[in-house]
Amino acid sequence: MLRRHSLKTALAVFAVLVPGARASAQDTANAVLGRAYDLEQKGQWAAAVESYQRALHSGRPEAAVLGLERVYAEMGHSDAMVPILDSAIVAWPRDPILRSAQLRVYRALLRPGDERLAFERWVRDAPRDATPYREYAQLLLEEGRASAADSVLDRAERALGSGRELILETAQLRATLGLWEPAARAWRAALDTAGDIAAAAAYSLRPTPDSLRPTVRAVLLAPPVSLGSRRAMADLELSWGSARAGWAALADLRPDSGAVMEWEQYGEAAVGAGEWLVARDAFRSVLTARPGSPAHAADLAARAASAAMHGGDAVSALALADRAGTGMDSALVARTILPVRVQALAALGRSADAEHAARAYGHWLDESGRATLTREIAWGYVRAGDIARARAAVSASALADDEELGGWLALYAGDLKAARVALRRAAAPSADLVTALAFLARTRADSAPVAGRAFVQLARGDTVAAARTFVEASDVVRDAAPLLLATAARLHEARHEDAAAVPLWRTVVERYADAPEAAEADLEWGRALKRGRDVSGATARWEHLILTYPESALVPQARRELESARQSTPTTS
Amino acid sequence: MVSRRDLLVGTAGAALVSQLGWVARLGAAEPAMLLVPMDDDQQNHLKAYGLAYAALKAGGKGEWLLNYRGGSFLIPDLPEVRKRAALDGVTVEGVDDSAIGSIRSELAGGNMDSVVLEKAPTVAVYSPPKSPPWDDAVTLALNYAGIPFTNVWDDNVIQGDLSKYDWVHLFHEDFTGQFNKLYINSRGAPWFIEQVERDQDMAKRLGYPTVPGLKKDVAAHIRQFVDRGGFLFAMCGATETLDLALAAHEVDIDGPFSDGTPVDPDADAKLDWSRALAFQNAHIEMSPSVNAMSDIDGHQANVPSRKQPLGAFTLFAFSAKFDPVASMLIQNHRSVIPDFYGVTTSFMKSTLKASDIVLAFEEGAPWVKYVHGDAGKGSWTFLGGHDPEDPQHSIGNPATDLALHPNSPGYRLILNNVLFPAAKKKPLKT
Repeated sequence: MLRRHSLKTALAVFAVLVPGARASAQDTANAVLGRAYDLEQKGQWAAAVESYQRALHSGRPEAAVLGLERVYAEMGHSDAMVPILDSAIVAWPRDPILRSAQLRVYRALLRPGDERLAFERWVRDAPRDATPYREYAQLLLEEGRASAADSVLDRAERALGSGRELILETAQLRATLGLWEPAARAWRAALDTAGDIAAAAAYSLRPTPDSLRPTVRAVLLAPPVSLGSRRAMADLELSWGSARAGWAALADLRPDSGAVMEWEQYGEAAVGAGEWLVARDAFRSVLTARPGSPAHAADLAARAASAAMHGGDAVSALALADRAGTGMDSALVARTILPVRVQALAALGRSADAEHAARAYGHWLDESGRATLTREIAWGYVRAGDIARARAAVSASALADDEELGGWLALYAGDLKAARVALRRAAAPSADLVTALAFLARTRADSAPVAGRAFVQLARGDTVAAARTFVEASDVVRDAAPLLLATAARLHEARHEDAAAVPLWRTVVERYADAPEAAEADLEWGRALKRGRDVSGATARWEHLILTYPESALVPQARRELESARQSTPTTS
Repeated sequence: MVSRRDLLVGTAGAALVSQLGWVARLGAAEPAMLLVPMDDDQQNHLKAYGLAYAALKAGGKGEWLLNYRGGSFLIPDLPEVRKRAALDGVTVEGVDDSAIGSIRSELAGGNMDSVVLEKAPTVAVYSPPKSPPWDDAVTLALNYAGIPFTNVWDDNVIQGDLSKYDWVHLFHEDFTGQFNKLYINSRGAPWFIEQVERDQDMAKRLGYPTVPGLKKDVAAHIRQFVDRGGFLFAMCGATETLDLALAAHEVDIDGPFSDGTPVDPDADAKLDWSRALAFQNAHIEMSPSVNAMSDIDGHQANVPSRKQPLGAFTLFAFSAKFDPVASMLIQNHRSVIPDFYGVTTSFMKSTLKASDIVLAFEEGAPWVKYVHGDAGKGSWTFLGGHDPEDPQHSIGNPATDLALHPNSPGYRLILNNVLFPAAKKKPLKT
């Protein structure tokens, strides 16, 4: 009885002690490893080596070997790894970490023959394993030995009966070798089973030359539709500058949760690339398919509205802003939706509605926020041609003392004297500001309502009327006549109206040959003639520019045009 | 065509005549001249060659002032010349008799000399009817400088049209008929398929059973053109393959892709290097899947395991008075030029013939970059590499825009070769 009891007790004690013993050994190994790592971090290489070697024999061989590999590399003693690895591999012949380390060490020691032998031994010991082929091919690729890597992968396919396990490496290799169609096919095969590698596929295929991109597209877009290949295609198109085509690759996916998540991510990527209207479409699609919680829907709508506004689509921006604001509390509306809403309303010529919205929610914003809204409203009135209401909106706000805005309003009213002073320190750069400052510096006139009218028309985007009025102004503000005529000509050219631009350029060249605009007039007149297929006429203009204004900064451009006309330099698209 | 002896005599004679002429000109009105400097004062070196060429084409005579301010030109000061210089952005300086006299004194006192440029050479560029997806540096240079040329192709060569030209240029063409072995990596590319079909059609039309057969005969015609007094300038793969085709006149050095039969295993021993222009004792690349033709090329740029890194090459300094030909070919405002890859980038010294003149070399390297020699009554120059301003060029890369490289020292070497045939002098009768 006692013996049985004693045995039971002994067994119970042993049962407690053995797992504990095992746990204790593990703790010891971890502690040793931890100490080794600390020493490594402190740069105490010799001590770290000692600790890692102790860890090698305490049950954590892989981590210890990796640590020794790092430390010996720092010490320049990578050759010391050779006997360590030889012994470790004898003890653990199937351990891929040890085998990979052995390949790396031979590579670091510039012993390609031994590296090869180590690979062959690994294959011999693990004949059905793709890992040795993968690791060796990867190393060869890193060394720039793409052909050798290709041979290894070929051999793997023969040995393993299929290339499926190494499809990723095959894809990367084919791309490295510039075999774009085979690379695309290999990536497609990999993407159909592992969609999370879409970014890697896109990165690998990015250098595809233009002429072969249709082939890559055909491979990735071929049926059956797969999320991974579509996402890779979308990323590729974005990197190739074709965000719209990228969206097309994703847009016709069935709107399950995976696809919708990709749409939203693509929308973010499009925002990052400045592809606003694509971002708008992506966010709008998510909103339609799976808006999620009300907060998420509101956030999506706000992002879509902002993207639409950035892309110049005020109508969509307004609709989306209204949708975003539904059910949102006022403070949140003011912070997230109101600026876009006011901007859209002002852009659509509904500045009064924009003022109303700003009054309703503006008190939730700080002074700077309200000033931004007022500025948008004022510009909205300006674009509508209502300078008086623009002035009223400004004077009733904190922007009453804003010099720049005041300067613009003075210019629009034709008060050149006030505008000249107020716009001198204008901060926000724009093409209109450059034209305005050039005009104000050129003329001594204090007042010119006709010029003010032209600038209002310009601000409204009515370039046809603005061009006409600038010409009219050239007869009134004579000391700035060539500048005003050149401005009108540029507006016609922006609208591809060469027939209207050429007479203006001709007038500048023939009547104002000494003006600063004369060289530009010769250049642009020549370009217009070239577009009209009058190459000899164009050549005559450019030659005139070069010979008459040899010091002009436009001479290199004129030479470039001459070379292009003579086809003496390659054409660029 | 001018030989080195002719030039030697002619150059000395020119100096004597110009001295006498200068004396005779005292008190007589002489047309003024324009100096086109070719040192760092020049805004556009490449178009300066075009200006000099245009002056000759208009019937004027000029001089090439070897080693004077980077190899400057002296051309007639005429309104059309000045106008073209202004339009092209070429720097010119009006020089009167006194200034010219100073120049001549300076030439006489240093390693400098003057060569008369008499006639604008007629130029032919051997190139296929439809441009391949790479560009010809020489065509780019000629177009940019405004020097006219005619394209010729296999049919023109076989018909004997080369005799109409003073100067012929070869570029990428693989005269061994192996399509530059581009079947290794580009077999499926549409442009490659089109090229093969085009060449096979041409061979059939001209009565040759294979493309190698046609190309070797084209090579022989080109050799004949040189022998009869023509001037040949070759770059890139044409240099190596032309000589291989000439040496392998009766030997199969082409892989099965080209002619359906393997390379003759004894090809090396059977090559007749006496037919070649520049090279000898080279070894054929026997493997059709290795993208190299032979061991002539030092850099082997298309064989990853053999590829050598690029360095820089130095132009050899010749005596302008005693080696005017070689001097003309190396005129430059730089003496060391960064190297650039090509199908054939450089030439192993061990494969050069003893009679070859090395014009440029890489210090410490077993290869040279630029060589010249005589053959029969004519002469040839080989320059390794594809494009001096695109050192790592790959198929499909955009063409070099020379407007961005108006002072390219590498491109000057090409244009030196274009103007060189303009230096014609008859030997003085004594």
